Amino acid sequence: MNISRISLRQFRNLEPTELIPIGGFNVFWGNNAQGKTNLLEGIHLLGSLKSFRGARNDELIQHGETTCRLAAEIENRGVRRQVELSIGPQGKAARVDGKEVRRPADFFGHLRPVLFSPEEVTLLRGGPAGRRGLLDRAVFQADLTFLDRAREYDRCLRQRNRLLREGRGADQLAPWTEALVSAGARLRLDRGRYLDRLLPLLQKAHRQIAGGEEEVDISYRRGTEADLIDSLRGELERAKQREKMLGQTLVGPHRDDLEFCLLGRSLRLFASQGQLRSFLLAFKTAQIEDLQNITGVPPVLLLDDMTSELDRCRQNYFFSYLRARQGQVFITTTDIEPLLAHGISTARYFRVEKGTLHHDRDE
Amino acid sequence: MLDSVPSFTRLVVELAKFPGIGQKTATRLAFFLLRQPAAEAEALAAAIRELKERIGFCSVCFHVTESDPCPLCLDPGRDESLLCVVEEPQDLVAIERSRSFQGRYHVLHGALSPLDGIGPEELRVAELLTRLRPGKVQEVLVATNFSVEGEATALYLARLIRPLGIRVTRPAHGIPLGSDLEFIDEATVNRAVEGRRDF
Repeated sequence: MNISRISLRQFRNLEPTELIPIGGFNVFWGNNAQGKTNLLEGIHLLGSLKSFRGARNDELIQHGETTCRLAAEIENRGVRRQVELSIGPQGKAARVDGKEVRRPADFFGHLRPVLFSPEEVTLLRGGPAGRRGLLDRAVFQADLTFLDRAREYDRCLRQRNRLLREGRGADQLAPWTEALVSAGARLRLDRGRYLDRLLPLLQKAHRQIAGGEEEVDISYRRGTEADLIDSLRGELERAKQREKMLGQTLVGPHRDDLEFCLLGRSLRLFASQGQLRSFLLAFKTAQIEDLQNITGVPPVLLLDDMTSELDRCRQNYFFSYLRARQGQVFITTTDIEPLLAHGISTARYFRVEKGTLHHDRDE
Repeated sequence: MLDSVPSFTRLVVELAKFPGIGQKTATRLAFFLLRQPAAEAEALAAAIRELKERIGFCSVCFHVTESDPCPLCLDPGRDESLLCVVEEPQDLVAIERSRSFQGRYHVLHGALSPLDGIGPEELRVAELLTRLRPGKVQEVLVATNFSVEGEATALYLARLIRPLGIRVTRPAHGIPLGSDLEFIDEATVNRAVEGRRDF
């Protein structure tokens, strides 16, 4: 999968930008606060409809403008498609090949970018929500139907929470508990199945990054759908009194934590910064590999400010991995020397300065 | 809008309250009525008036009707041991159109949705249980929608009805007849594949 043309108008601080990337490495370089990450954010929006920085619509639109427009031409196995996104303060409108797309699900899948931002290291160490998000985004990239099921669960959850907050009786709560159990068990099953595929890839990548000694694992509830239904029902039963007191649903996939483990110990509690980085790198590598196995094409990678965060040893691994791999990559960096040193051979360099893009050379 | 013609404006405002009708369509409809002979407009007005005057809800099944009980409830050819529960009158109409069901009906007038303040008291649930008590009904087909709310409503009713010794069933779901697989949304295909049967 390749992006063959990108056009951004009235987007953040960027001047009207037309960009012809190449199939290999595309490097956005320049000082901080010039707009490099905005470019990645724009590309990510065209694949996911969401800002990876959690920005609201009005923050994406250039100051003094009312709408912004993002467009790209995506080439997938010889098929070219035009995807467009207009963002107004009230909402986003998406088009594929000039036709309006109503269901978000019809927009996803044209471009499935994998983002790698060093800030994600903090997710490994922070609260459970960050780790769940990391996993759920990966599950969704690989299986677009996951979104519908996650929404169904969320709807059950909000309905049930309302009843709990109003202090309604057991007879009214029961059907929503049942609905929550079947939707929730399904989400846990989706996550577990994904992890079953991901783990061997993760372990292999991690061995290559960190050497053979440090075994990694991700522990999460496993089992058949029937097992998961029984166990979630049991958890809810045990939480009944506390739920009544606190007026909300206290157990289920929306509260689950994933334990990322290194040598059998919790990564969150015991890992050094370097070990966290290795883990994240291995996780992303595995995600990329899995996505490629599933779709049959290498996904587009968006790498935000990699060189500043990775030490030399991990850089060596990652760049040799990237070089060996097919597929399109977009990288932001303040310093292009490490890229040149790593022999990123076919690359197109764009210097970013005060929101303007200068295509300065091809290597 | 035509501010100097308040009666026209009033009609546009009223028409624009219809579901699926916006300001532009409402204006088009109003101009259409304006060009029609007076008799046509009178007929429409009368039809609307009669709708509210003559049509009410059946006191047995709560379907829309001009006579109470409704013809469906009085039809001796209907199987009294079979009862189909639906959310809205239009759902009943859809099932009737299929001619697949020979029992009687019960319209709930909605589905459970705590977020919208709709609990069992807001629906015709108590009336349903009253109908089931004499023991004539042997099976209840719960044909609420396949939305999160419809499913929860079905679960709620099943829990109430099963203890009465009555069989509770739910329509099958899956791929619509005569449709191409390629045009069906992923979630439906997903469920249909999971619920596959021996051939």
